[in-house]
Amino acid sequence: MSRRLLVVIAAVLLVSVAVAGQTPAPARQTAPSSRQTTPVPKTATKSWAPPKTAWGDPDLQGTWTSDDSIGVPLQRPATIGERLVATDAEIAQREVNITRQSQADEQEFAAPNARAGTGPPGHWGERARRPSKQTSLIVDPPDGRIPALTAEGQKKQAEAAAARIGAGVGGRPAASWEDFTYYIRCITRGVTGSIFPVIYGNGAQIVQSPGYVTILHEMVHEARIIPLDGRPHAGPNIRTYMGDSRGHWEGNTLVIETTNFLADKTGIGLNGGGTPTSDALRLVERYSRTDANTINYEVTIDDPKTYTRPWKVAFPITQEPGYSLFEYACHEGNYAMVDMLSGARAEEKAAEEAAKQKK
Amino acid sequence: MLVGVFDALFLAALSAAGQTSAPRLPRMPDGKPNLTGLWQALGTAYWDIQDHIAQPGPFFQLGAIGAIPPGQGIVEGNEIPYQPWAGQKKKENFVNRLTLDPEIKCYMPGVPRGTYMPFPFQIVESPQNIVIAYEYATANRVINMGKPREASVDTWMGTSNGHWEGDALVVDVTGLNGQSWLDRAGNFASENVHIVERYTLADPDHLNYEATIEDKTVFTRPWKISLPLYRRKEKNAQITEFKCVEFAEELIYGNLRKQTK
Repeated sequence: MSRRLLVVIAAVLLVSVAVAGQTPAPARQTAPSSRQTTPVPKTATKSWAPPKTAWGDPDLQGTWTSDDSIGVPLQRPATIGERLVATDAEIAQREVNITRQSQADEQEFAAPNARAGTGPPGHWGERARRPSKQTSLIVDPPDGRIPALTAEGQKKQAEAAAARIGAGVGGRPAASWEDFTYYIRCITRGVTGSIFPVIYGNGAQIVQSPGYVTILHEMVHEARIIPLDGRPHAGPNIRTYMGDSRGHWEGNTLVIETTNFLADKTGIGLNGGGTPTSDALRLVERYSRTDANTINYEVTIDDPKTYTRPWKVAFPITQEPGYSLFEYACHEGNYAMVDMLSGARAEEKAAEEAAKQKK
Repeated sequence: MLVGVFDALFLAALSAAGQTSAPRLPRMPDGKPNLTGLWQALGTAYWDIQDHIAQPGPFFQLGAIGAIPPGQGIVEGNEIPYQPWAGQKKKENFVNRLTLDPEIKCYMPGVPRGTYMPFPFQIVESPQNIVIAYEYATANRVINMGKPREASVDTWMGTSNGHWEGDALVVDVTGLNGQSWLDRAGNFASENVHIVERYTLADPDHLNYEATIEDKTVFTRPWKISLPLYRRKEKNAQITEFKCVEFAEELIYGNLRKQTK
């Protein structure tokens, strides 16, 4: 009864509710076989402005992927120097690699005498649709290489290299799950590891609400909740794998500052590899939507305990028709961990038996 | 003059309804209730969704901390209409819960268990999608508010399609894989379960939650749970992180650890 009266009141006052935000343009219909290349990311030009949400924030919503940058190395080969843009020959080689990979993935049976891989099935793999022209994901320093480590950073790097076996790397059998990366253990890939392009699972879904941006990553089912209301960071004793994020708008660019990381866990690299970062790590990310289907992603990495200077990674993420995130129930399905550890114990037992035989 | 009309109508509404005005809910620009915020259930449904008394826990070394607290259930009618085989399976689940309960292994809690875990969850609502991010195990799901999409594959957190019925958010959940439980007492459903949730703001800080659970392969009829959810009101309340895999590794893989001699 009172609700109907409220409706009448609204009508009498002739309140006009703002029309909901403009619908974003439909995703680009690019034929998979067309090999356009992705331009090197520039700062957002003033000629295109993103639509706004109904509450007036720039609208970055959608499902975005870093697929076009698959295959771009994090660090530039030293021989290339300060050139960020790949040559035609380097691009052609990248395209050959993509085609070769596609053909290998589509094989139904391993060739006779081939070493049967234990990698994922081919249909899991994602591909660049417009292969990137960048020579590296790192865009600063100008040589595209990770800056020198501090003494502490070098120590952490050496410890990590000695301790971690990683996936598919030869060497001694794993003593326990602690010998593997946080990704292989299905814990996390960290903030940058969750968006840097790898062979699959490169989706990032952005959902916005008044006062919040959420960024969901497929691996490992992360949900970054980013308040925009200017509240301070959590206290220094609240530390997490994904850090504590605070966002604000600079024009149409979403700027996210993240601190409060746990020390000595993931690094800055594909799947969270690289030198484990310290509790002083501070990330500043910028998300700039430059057209209906492209966001330029940029992250500045500042960890004075690990690196001698800040450095920057940048690449575009795009919307693609039919691309969506899937549930990545990593830990629930981590048969690989059981297989690798029981395999290690079996190898040890076989070695013991062989030693006994010799006596 | 318009203000005078408003006052007149407002007073008329008050006298007609014979009560204080309904609380003003937070709303999105399009008028829909805005559920964005940090929410958490109280009570002990996570132990047992039916009425339960206090009981000793599995480890006497923890004394009172390790005991199971009592609580009123959230099942309407307090009865879960299991088919005979399923009622038997529930009993077996309970007896073997230390080895069988997926929560102990830090597996994702599924729907509706995630709603009443002893951890908060963050709702982020946009017109096209509503994210529910559960602190427990970093489990999350996205409720599609556009044209409903079928589940393409069974998952731990299911496929959720939502729409508004007045001020109630109605969420249709299918595609659950049947591998999570409903509580720590061994209550369960199968991969054939179909859940319809309703989220209704009673006032800005209380979210009434209901879920109708239907599974023709497990229950003899649909049944319902309901409980209030409370907005976390601490200053700058935020979700933190309970990535519990590390706490379950020794349990799951411990027998495969290299033995030092």
